[in-house]
Amino acid sequence: MKRIASANAAGEPAPRIGRRAAVSLLSVVAAGAAGLVGSAPRAALAFGEEGAFNPRVLLTGDARWEGVRTTAPGRWSKELADRTSAPAKLGPGTVRADEPALLAEPFALWGGDAAVPALTDREVSGLKRFIALGGVLFVDDFAPEIGVFLRSVKRELARVLPEGSPIPIGDENVIFRSFYLLRRAEGRIEGPAKLEAIIRAGLPQVIFSAHDLMGALARSPSGIQPIAVTPGGDRQREKAVRLAVNIAMYVLCSSYKDDQVHAPFLMRRRKSTP
Amino acid sequence: MNRSFALSGDLAQPFVILACALAALSAGLLLLELWRSRRARAASFRIGASGLVAVLGLLAAVLRPVGIVSKGSLVGPKVIVLADASRSIDLPGLEGTRRQTIDRALAELEARSGEVRFTVLAFGDGAPTPIDGAADPTKIAASGKAARAPFHPRARLRSDLGAALEAVARAADERPAAVVVLSDGRLDRPAEAGAGDAAKAALGALQIPIHTVSLADVAPRDASIRRVLAAGAAVAHQPFSLRIEIGCDGGLSCGDVPVVARELREKGEPTELASGTAHVVAGRATVELPMTIERAGARILEISIQAPEGDVIPENDRRYTTLDVIRDRVRVLHVAGRPTYDVRALRMWLKSDASVDVVAFFILRTPADHVEAASDELALIPFPVDELFNEHLPSFDAVVLQDFNAEPYGLTKHLPSLARYVEKGGGLIMVGGPDAFGPGHYGGTRLADVLPVELSADRREQGTDLAGFTPRFTDAGRVAPVLAPLRALIGDDLPEMPGVDLVGDARPDATVLLEHPTRKTASGAPMPVLALGEHGSGRTMALTVDGSHRLLFSSFAASAAGRAHGAFWDAMLGWLMRDPRFEPAVIDVRGGCVAGEDTTLTLRPLPGPRGEATVKIVRLGSGEVAATLKTPVDGSGAAIDLQAGKLPAGGYSAVVEIGKGTTKGPTTRRDFACEAGGDEWADSRPDEDRLRAIAAATGGVFVRAGDAGKLPLPEATQVATERQVAAVLPVWAWTTLAALLLGAHWIVRRRGGLT
Repeated sequence: MKRIASANAAGEPAPRIGRRAAVSLLSVVAAGAAGLVGSAPRAALAFGEEGAFNPRVLLTGDARWEGVRTTAPGRWSKELADRTSAPAKLGPGTVRADEPALLAEPFALWGGDAAVPALTDREVSGLKRFIALGGVLFVDDFAPEIGVFLRSVKRELARVLPEGSPIPIGDENVIFRSFYLLRRAEGRIEGPAKLEAIIRAGLPQVIFSAHDLMGALARSPSGIQPIAVTPGGDRQREKAVRLAVNIAMYVLCSSYKDDQVHAPFLMRRRKSTP
Repeated sequence: MNRSFALSGDLAQPFVILACALAALSAGLLLLELWRSRRARAASFRIGASGLVAVLGLLAAVLRPVGIVSKGSLVGPKVIVLADASRSIDLPGLEGTRRQTIDRALAELEARSGEVRFTVLAFGDGAPTPIDGAADPTKIAASGKAARAPFHPRARLRSDLGAALEAVARAADERPAAVVVLSDGRLDRPAEAGAGDAAKAALGALQIPIHTVSLADVAPRDASIRRVLAAGAAVAHQPFSLRIEIGCDGGLSCGDVPVVARELREKGEPTELASGTAHVVAGRATVELPMTIERAGARILEISIQAPEGDVIPENDRRYTTLDVIRDRVRVLHVAGRPTYDVRALRMWLKSDASVDVVAFFILRTPADHVEAASDELALIPFPVDELFNEHLPSFDAVVLQDFNAEPYGLTKHLPSLARYVEKGGGLIMVGGPDAFGPGHYGGTRLADVLPVELSADRREQGTDLAGFTPRFTDAGRVAPVLAPLRALIGDDLPEMPGVDLVGDARPDATVLLEHPTRKTASGAPMPVLALGEHGSGRTMALTVDGSHRLLFSSFAASAAGRAHGAFWDAMLGWLMRDPRFEPAVIDVRGGCVAGEDTTLTLRPLPGPRGEATVKIVRLGSGEVAATLKTPVDGSGAAIDLQAGKLPAGGYSAVVEIGKGTTKGPTTRRDFACEAGGDEWADSRPDEDRLRAIAAATGGVFVRAGDAGKLPLPEATQVATERQVAAVLPVWAWTTLAALLLGAHWIVRRRGGLT
């Protein structure tokens, strides 16, 4: 039923293939591409795929995208495509804050484990335009035990959004029910129960995670989880995947699950769930 | 020729008075002298008489009386006759119809045209106008003069005597001496209460009598719908009531009268909205009909009663009313086959508009997905397709189907009702994607007939083209008001789209605003990318791409700060909802429409579009084209009057189209109703009391038409054309006579003992 289509060079329609097969094929391609540092190829944009979820990695300064978590964005896309109807780009690339390409899509992931250097004026300008157009930025601290990355990012984002400051968001927020009903946030570490977010026009626009969500999502091409999830193990990893799916669904559907038509149903289900 | 006499031919009146006063004083002194004198008592009579004669002689010598011979003619005063030209004059009157009675009254007045100068004007709406009452040379009346043509002015939809009197008072020409009103008294102005004072006030400083002539004295046997009133504003989707006032007169036995309110449809039988029973007491009844209208805009309602037998005026048993239904908020059903950035962008825009109420259903999970969780761990609800499309569909103003496959989610069986929803006035937007249009299994369905583009029913045909392309504006798209806000932001440039759903030609009545630069349809025409269409009472829009979010979020969008997406969708939804900002023209029925009378439409195109405008007048219900009018439009935006001829009673839709072929812009329409009777026939009773009150308040006289000739009109005025003045005696004769009389008096005084 669900399919992914692509275009060949001549612009003729490609023969349709089942999504499962396409996912398998493309995930291999994505995993291969992830090995390329800093300049992942632009995914082919086909009809129906151009509006697909794409967890692009935001780079600033001289940062490079490398390490065991480079497989995490592809896993994020795959889990989304496998579990939901949402299309996703299985080979997400990177984008620099001072590149016009940042404005090509409304989502970016900013992760790291060390303090980020001060943003250049061009990077501040690029991020300002990204936020002004309605883009959503997900900030994930790969070393939340230290917390320097998150602190430095908040410091720099204060230059981008001087009027906004992060506030905790818990299970009352639409992110915690955009697909799965979640009680708390979890990643590689259990961390705080809540995420943080800068809210604009009533909606989270910059989301901060002190849980190393990408660490929980990382997976080698052979299927091995390279980073241990503590203390909950696989159960906690599953919760981390669900949080990632919810964040993606929030990016794609905005406040859909806050609509009045869903409210009574979700309240009943929350009450019945321990 | 007239003869007359004057005391003096040359002295001014004050001197004449002075001379007479001096003469009287002299006579008085003489009498006083005689009364005091004992010596002259015996001759006092002779002295007094001679003295008085001498004083008169002296006075005559001073004044020198003259005789006047004059020639001239009698000029009758100007009298304005205001004849009721409202449609109610075709109701029964004193002699046949009230119109025939006016003829009789005018004939009566004409008999007195030697005394007064009549100016006959017809009144109805606004200032009165001269009637076509010129003498008919082919007919000779008994008087030997050419007979006056029958009273047959253009029928007016109102009977506003107040406006007519105000116009008479304001007129700069000769002031009339009186006004004669020929009417049945059933007037819009002055109102029944205080009619006399209101009429007097309408004349202002012109203090002249208004004589009133009644055309009818008894009500015909008639049951009628007198008034249809909406209790408050009619708001789409919200219940409101129509108040229907029923009248029953002329001795007709009414009792309980069934009342039905129905809404006229583009095609097919009207839809019943409400019904009730009016219990007539003392000739009157009021019934409230609660109803809910789902579609905003001009809706044509038919209100009818079942009149008892003996009703002589069936035309007022059925009324048509144009109800302007407003929107509180635009209710939109947004259904998407899967969440994408395009869905996100459209949802965010819909949610950002405070005037839009969105109900959204996105398919977040398909049966093929492995959610790895129990159902109670999911925030998902079943897609209530049956509930939505069976029960709630009419409550929406527009439905957006975005990249939604009709088959897997059970929508296919609801496509006929979705098509009917459009026919009845709903709006439909189909947005492209891999599961829209052909790939969404809409080809060959009832809904495909509603869309503005043709879809192939052959599922083996290629459904999409995955090659990127940049759409281009068509000629119509460059001038269409609906794309003006977008073009104001981005000009001729559009972002590249990643692919397109393959569709066929635009339907004949549809308008293509964006087209594919290279792809052609089977007919060889460029393939539509954005097309607008009308179907029944509703409107549809087909956007065959899924990349409109690039107007919101992309490097391209950044140049307009992302506002192009909102400008585009605001105009699209606005056009779908008939927002006047996006209509290519406005069309009105000038002066309303009355069955059997000439109807004039006024077309006001927006500045810009030029070419030939075609106005098609389609009868609601049957879909029959009643008239097709054509006129050139020069792009200046000037209003154009179009003669639609005489239309039978019923509801109509005037559809305007400017341009032809590739330059043809989106259409606009105006629904209107033509009534057989209308307001003027709603209450057939004459109102003689009102006519009496008007006459009494202004010093006029009330009569019935047969006595119009007996009205006390002002008298004629003599106007001199030649005048001759001749002295009674020459000056020397008056002087000599006065000297002799004074001398004689002196002699009589001396002999009587006075000095």
